Amino acid sequence: MNEMTLRFLSNPVNEPFARTSIVAFLMPLNPSVEEIMEIKTMIAEAVTNAMIHGYEGHEDGWIEIKAVYDEAGILDLTIKDEGCGIEDIELAMQPLYTSKAYLERSGMGMTIMDTFADDFKVNSSEGNGCIVQMRKQLHGQTEPAH
Amino acid sequence: MKHQMIGNTLYFYFYGDFDNLAVQRIKETCIQLIDHFEPSAVKMDFEEVSFIDSTGIGFVLARYKQLKKLGSELILCNLSRANQTLFHMSGIFQIISYERSGVKL
Ligand SMILES: Nc1ncnc2c1ncn2[C@@H]1O[C@H](COP(=O)(O)OP(=O)(O)OP(=O)(O)O)[C@@H](O)[C@H]1O
Ligand SMILES: [Mg+2]
Repeated sequence: MNEMTLRFLSNPVNEPFARTSIVAFLMPLNPSVEEIMEIKTMIAEAVTNAMIHGYEGHEDGWIEIKAVYDEAGILDLTIKDEGCGIEDIELAMQPLYTSKAYLERSGMGMTIMDTFADDFKVNSSEGNGCIVQMRKQLHGQTEPAH
Repeated sequence: MKHQMIGNTLYFYFYGDFDNLAVQRIKETCIQLIDHFEPSAVKMDFEEVSFIDSTGIGFVLARYKQLKKLGSELILCNLSRANQTLFHMSGIFQIISYERSGVKL
């Protein structure tokens, strides 16, 4: 078992940093190129949501990512913000639903996380922040990297 | 991001991360270039894009709408397999065409 926690401000420059840091932590699992891409995208979606929706573009909110993996290569990611929260989670989960169309959002973030994760949960209520939990079984590379 | 105008077609070339941070930085420029040239078609080249997320889908859909008002066409070019997967999820190819394009800078 191995575990890390990353805590950073909701400044947009921190999102690429967050996704690459978590992926670097997972290197002992020798993830495949496809797995790396999927995990980066899952984190990008959750963190961007915290920044744009949770904190509504304010750059002084805290975002926390916890990554845990075990010997079997099961990865658990938890992304937490203390922002405005989600009033109607079922609606928010609908593909192409966005509350911020004027910001040119597509409403695909939740669908992408749900697709790339084996298990995907959102815990939130209005005014109480948001916790996204994603589980993914990593199989690693079939061939060792050269 | 780079661009060039050939005939009535405006080409955009994107590089590296096409994430929230990158899209916010280039969005205004793209909007203005389209308004300035009023091209009959825009081709977006993703060959050199290594990472894309839902922000990229939102950007493409928004430019599609901008171009539709001008009666112009949007064509996506040279998406990697991974990048195509993401666009497929959104059903974007039902309204926006895709091609392999060899027209480079
Ligand atoms: N952390 C969050 N805090 C508050 N609201 C959220 C949060 N995450 C998602 N939402 C709500 O859920 C909706 C759907 O999220 P989703 O990521 O699917 O789409 P989007 O962010 O609007 O667009 P895209 O992800 O395609 O850029 C958002 O529009 C927003 O209303
Ligand atoms: Mg989103």
